[in-house]
Formats: sequence, C-alpha cells, structure tokens
Amino acid sequence: MKKLFVTLTSIIAISFLSGCVSLDSVSLTQLPEDRDHLVTASASDILFLGFTTQNDFVDEAVESLKSKCRGGKLTGILTKHQTTSYVLVFKREVIASGYCNTEEA
Amino acid sequence: MRANKARLLLFKSIAVKFSEIQIRESLMLRVLVMSLILVGSGCARLDHIQISDIDQSQGSLKAISVKISNTGFNAAETVAIAGALAQSDSTKESLGDLATLLALVNMGPTTGNPVYNDHYAENILMQLHQQCASGKITAIRNVREGLSYGPVSGEVVRIDADCIL
Repeated sequence: MKKLFVTLTSIIAISFLSGCVSLDSVSLTQLPEDRDHLVTASASDILFLGFTTQNDFVDEAVESLKSKCRGGKLTGILTKHQTTSYVLVFKREVIASGYCNTEEA
Repeated sequence: MRANKARLLLFKSIAVKFSEIQIRESLMLRVLVMSLILVGSGCARLDHIQISDIDQSQGSLKAISVKISNTGFNAAETVAIAGALAQSDSTKESLGDLATLLALVNMGPTTGNPVYNDHYAENILMQLHQQCASGKITAIRNVREGLSYGPVSGEVVRIDADCIL
C-alpha cells in the first residue's frame, strides 16, 4: 500500500514538475498612438511525443484576431509562440494581441 | 525542440531494439522496417511565426500564400541510425565515432536540419507580389516550419497574407 502511494505521488509530482514553458519566438510590430482597444486571440494544439503532420492551429489564431477587429486596423501586434511540456505530451500555442483602431478607417 | 529530442530518442531506441533481434530476419528486412517507421512518422515542426499589422479597413481581402522549401539532412543522425542497425560490433563502433564527429562538426544553434542551398528563400517577395495585382498586401504571416522524416526534412518558409482588392 505504501509502495503504491509512493509510486502514485512520484508520478503526480513528476507530471506537475516537468510541465514548463519554452518561448519559441516573439515578434512585435509598430505600436499605434491610440492604444485603447486591445484585442487578444490564441490557438493551440496538444501533441503526444510531438507527433503531428500540420501547423494549422496558427491560422485559427489569425482568423480569431481578425474577427475581433472587423473593418478596422490592427497594429502593435505582439505574437508569441510557446510550447508547454508535460510528460511525453506537448502543448503548442500561438498567442497574438494587437490594438484595434476603427476610427482611423 | 524538446519534442524533437524525445522523438529522436524514440527512433534510436527502436533502432537499438531492431539491432538486438537475432538474425533470423535479414538486414534488408530490418532496414525496410526502419525506413517505414521513419517515413511513417513524418512530423510537422513549427519554429517561428510572426504576424504583421492587419488592415481590414481598405476593402475586401483575398488570401494569398507562398511556400518555399528545401531538403534538410542530418548526417550525424543518419550515421547513428546506421550504426544501430549494423550487425558487427566493430562497424557499430566505427559508425558511432563517425556520428559523434559529424555531430561535433555541425554543432551550434540551428533551426531545423542543415540545407545545401542558402538562397532558396530569396524570391519569396516577388512570388507574393505576383499573386496580388493591387500590390497592397496586409496581414502578412511569416511562418518557418518543417516536415521531418527522421534524418531528412523539408525546411519550409511560408508567407501567408491578404491582398487588398
């Protein structure tokens, strides 16, 4: 019983302690003067051992960002690409935020 | 990067397991099985993404895209797999040494596998303009990605954008 408890605790501890984020890339575009309306969008996918055949989740983030500023101009876009590692499982994520300006339009 | 290392470890352990199978099966069969594993495990990799300003105020948009790729090759990994598949101990040792040497020669920060043409992504701007008659391009997404088949990979530069009509 004690052995089972130790094993389970170890597995849980390893799972939580090994979950850490690596920042793969960051980019920022020119910042606007009017920075009142910040919009954010993100998209992610979860992989076992990193096996995947596509990176389509990136397009979801862009479409989501565009949908939050219809007819406007998005500037000052901060794009982050990060990977969170768990035990044998990886979460890839793209987070984009920018300032929506519809008045200039 | 971590995912790539985990996969590489998996490939190596599979190769070692195959080398341990006692030689009822021929070398050709082992090579064939390993090749199928490597080809079947084609994996997409995302190295970098950048999104530029998005202007939806000047009219309707049409999606455009340019994708350029080149073949990347990891010589050290190839030799390491060959070493794991080798039958004699002396061959295993020699190939192991060669793999170490190749890894040392190619050591340093890289994005994906090395390619043999460093100009392959140069005409991307011209190709993008060819798809947009108005010349007004917005929402440019620069994506550096790759498709890996074990030691061989397609090193891809993709530009997605919207053309303002």
